[in-house]
Amino acid sequence: MIKSKHDYKYVGKQTVRKDAYGIVQGKTQFFDDFVMPNILIGKVKQCPYPHANILSIDTSKALTLEGVHAVITYKDCDPNWKFGWPPQKSVLGTRMRFVGDAVALVAAETEELAKEAIDLIEVNYEVLEPVFDVLEAQKEGAPQLYDEFPNNIVPGGYEVMQPSGRWWHLKKGDVENGFAECAIIEEDTIGFDKKPGTLSPEPPGLIIQWEGGTDYHVWGTTQGIMVLQLVNATVIPGVHIEATAFNVGGSYGNKTTLTNITIYGMLLAKATNRPIKMNETKVEQMVMHETRLGSTVQAKIGMDKEGVVRSVKALWSVDAGHFCNAIQGQVSVGLGEAQLIMCKCPNWDLDTRIITTNKLTAGTVRGYGGQELNSCLSLLMARAMRKGNFDPVDSFRKNYCQAGDKYFWRDGREWTARSVDYNDAILATAEKFRWKDRWKGWGIPSWVSEDGKKVRGVGCSVIGNSDAGESFAEAYVRIIPDMFKDEARVMVHINVTEIGNGQKSNLLKMVAEILNVPLEAVQTIPPDSRTSPRNEGLAGSRGTLTCGRAVSNAALDLRRQLFEAAEYKLRYPQEQMEMFNFGVRAKSKPELWVPVTKLVPDHHLTMTGYGRHDEDFGTPNFFMSFIEAEVDLETGMTKVIDMLGGTDVGQIIDPGSLEMQCQGGIGAASLDTALFEENFVDPVIGRPLTYDMIQYKWRPFNELPNFDTCILESQFDTNYFRAIGVGEISGAAAASACMMAISNAIGTEIKDYPATPDVILKALGKI
Amino acid sequence: MKTTLVNFFVNGKEYTLSVGNLFGQLLPNEVLVDTLRNRFGLTGTKIACKDGACGCCTVLIDGEAVPSCEVLTVDCEGKHIVTIEGLAAPDGTLDPVQQAFVDYYAFQCGFCTPGIIMATKALLNKNPRPTREQIQDALSGNFCRCISHYHVLEAVESLVKKGEQPA
Ligand code: FES
Ligand code: FES
Repeated sequence: MIKSKHDYKYVGKQTVRKDAYGIVQGKTQFFDDFVMPNILIGKVKQCPYPHANILSIDTSKALTLEGVHAVITYKDCDPNWKFGWPPQKSVLGTRMRFVGDAVALVAAETEELAKEAIDLIEVNYEVLEPVFDVLEAQKEGAPQLYDEFPNNIVPGGYEVMQPSGRWWHLKKGDVENGFAECAIIEEDTIGFDKKPGTLSPEPPGLIIQWEGGTDYHVWGTTQGIMVLQLVNATVIPGVHIEATAFNVGGSYGNKTTLTNITIYGMLLAKATNRPIKMNETKVEQMVMHETRLGSTVQAKIGMDKEGVVRSVKALWSVDAGHFCNAIQGQVSVGLGEAQLIMCKCPNWDLDTRIITTNKLTAGTVRGYGGQELNSCLSLLMARAMRKGNFDPVDSFRKNYCQAGDKYFWRDGREWTARSVDYNDAILATAEKFRWKDRWKGWGIPSWVSEDGKKVRGVGCSVIGNSDAGESFAEAYVRIIPDMFKDEARVMVHINVTEIGNGQKSNLLKMVAEILNVPLEAVQTIPPDSRTSPRNEGLAGSRGTLTCGRAVSNAALDLRRQLFEAAEYKLRYPQEQMEMFNFGVRAKSKPELWVPVTKLVPDHHLTMTGYGRHDEDFGTPNFFMSFIEAEVDLETGMTKVIDMLGGTDVGQIIDPGSLEMQCQGGIGAASLDTALFEENFVDPVIGRPLTYDMIQYKWRPFNELPNFDTCILESQFDTNYFRAIGVGEISGAAAASACMMAISNAIGTEIKDYPATPDVILKALGKI
Repeated sequence: MKTTLVNFFVNGKEYTLSVGNLFGQLLPNEVLVDTLRNRFGLTGTKIACKDGACGCCTVLIDGEAVPSCEVLTVDCEGKHIVTIEGLAAPDGTLDPVQQAFVDYYAFQCGFCTPGIIMATKALLNKNPRPTREQIQDALSGNFCRCISHYHVLEAVESLVKKGEQPA
């Protein structure tokens, strides 16, 4: 287990998560465990074609079924209610754009009845030619998904995320002059375009209730209540959504907006005046929910003779699937992340295009754009390193962002990195992996079996993200004195959902530390927009820095108020006080102590501190992945046998959560996007072939690689605890590191994600 | 009309359900996970794939770890079913497997955890001294996307080391 070297009472120590006993006993409430009286089941009739027009639709038979309360089609919908940014896809329209698109909505007493009703809806379609490839989709004459998007290109940038103006094209310096000064130039088109699914075990779901007028309440599986409110309120202008969440059964960034089912549920709830439960089945999740972005990058990278990238020219075509739901945000974060890994590069012309295709829509996913772009750019960067015969560890180290380096971030503004420096983390991680012994050079295996049939190779890659400081976060910390004893409870109001990273509990450790109260005395309220102030939730490694700062500041504010009240009681200067035993005492005269019960108004009212974090993109985080992969030269099968993840987190908050976040980088469409994860779409009929957990490949218990971590704690100047989160990016460099390891093992460079046996055997010239 | 009854035990408690299509009756096509969750309120058993692929719905049926989404409740006549709610002692003392999962922090989102604990329970009941490979094989039908596997293995191995003999 990872160990912290700094001595706090709770921070840096392993503590039992607040929900641990509930989880191991099956008592923790997830969405589907929540019951409400009088609900109806909402279901979607899905289109069987990737591209089609509805010519006619007859719902009369479905409506005659007893127990069916509503059937809604485009005829019942205002065509101006539109999903996406910019608003593009009618909530229910006549144009169908992917297999699974919503033809009609049904509300019925039971799931069986809803399904029966769906089968009774008669539809005539005009089948249209689909387009599945982003490069094809941009060509003249390609099938058009939206009239307002010629060549299927969605406008770049997003005002909500870029207050100084929409931004989607990184231009800096002079790329042609830059290339002229480079010793090595590599150019290619690289795809990370198989749109893998994040596959959370708990499918997306919600119950929605119409509360009269334009008001709705959602109880759902959302990872970020505020994001759900923000995105859905723009679809039907004027609606007001409050929301409650539960522990989320895996999200990986992917169960946040819950866009379609929120809006569909809203329509059904208003039509029936009953709460509607929209709970996707696993197959529905896999064919109707969101995937990773598809990425195709046409890029040219120039490196100088020291292995430093000096010029980048690229066009990043992003496959949004059938509509663009604020993917502009992911694209602009991707641009930012590319700069972090090539931060010494003065010359950039990195343009982006978001393209709609007749596939499943892409959504927010752990890695948030950067993983998709860098999985492509890193391969080209590695090719340049190979040509220059640079050690990749050295080269990544020379290129990665350090304090003082500048980069443009998602808000379209230029930021200067401060405080962080990952040089030591890179060196320590490489040493722990024994890189110097195991790396034999480019294209040279690190090990060959006696019979020569199996080879191993090592690889590495890096990633970083400044979203660890993204957006604002607010919190209240309230001290509630005991009514009878000189003790108290502390209630933390922060609108965050526990998604598995343990951060919700970790925030309480920070509060317990500052108020010097037992951790057991600190609690938090369930995530609910009505009872907590706002923040975007525990996404994008934000928990440690942003939510951490909000709760720490709230606890400090509360402590200040208590000291202020104690000054009068103890007649002692505030600066020389400390919290002790549910009270305040003088540091140098411990006998001078006053309990909280005597400091709050009227002895049993409460006192509340307020804390906030303001958006700050100036402290990027970092993660480095090392991998050893073994390839069977006869079958082309690859097995990752050893993995090491390294970083510097400033200060460890909770060793267990940190370690598991690092290990979690193997899952949720990360490492295995280099090996076997992909969404197959039948190229002729456009239907997904990987539509369930039997068809879609995932990593079981008996196929785990060895995994280790190397964590430094350099005490960054970030927040009260001098920490930064890394959870989101822990797997984001693993896929490209794996491709490097395979290439070194087999002696030939491969670039097709995922490197399935056919890719490898082709590279070896065997098929 | 002849009423068909099905009789079985859940966490030691006996239940008799009447089978039929009338309101409130056990439907002939109802799967065990739905019976447990919707009729008995035992929501600790989770539904993810409902396809036998993920193990989130694993319960013990006569000591065997079985995905309860693949079992018809009408086929449970005479069976002894144990769910995650049935492991802790009535006084709240956790089963050693549950306690080890707390001690070794063997979960992240925890959605897969009840299924993994039940599969572990079945394994240790049959083989109290499994090797790491045997543990991995026994849990290979349990999906965990958060990648809690490493901590789960530590938790289970801690029980093996302690020589716990689960009841
Ligand atoms: S829900 Fe039963 S195996 Fe997946
Ligand atoms: S802990 Fe989340 S799926 Fe296993």
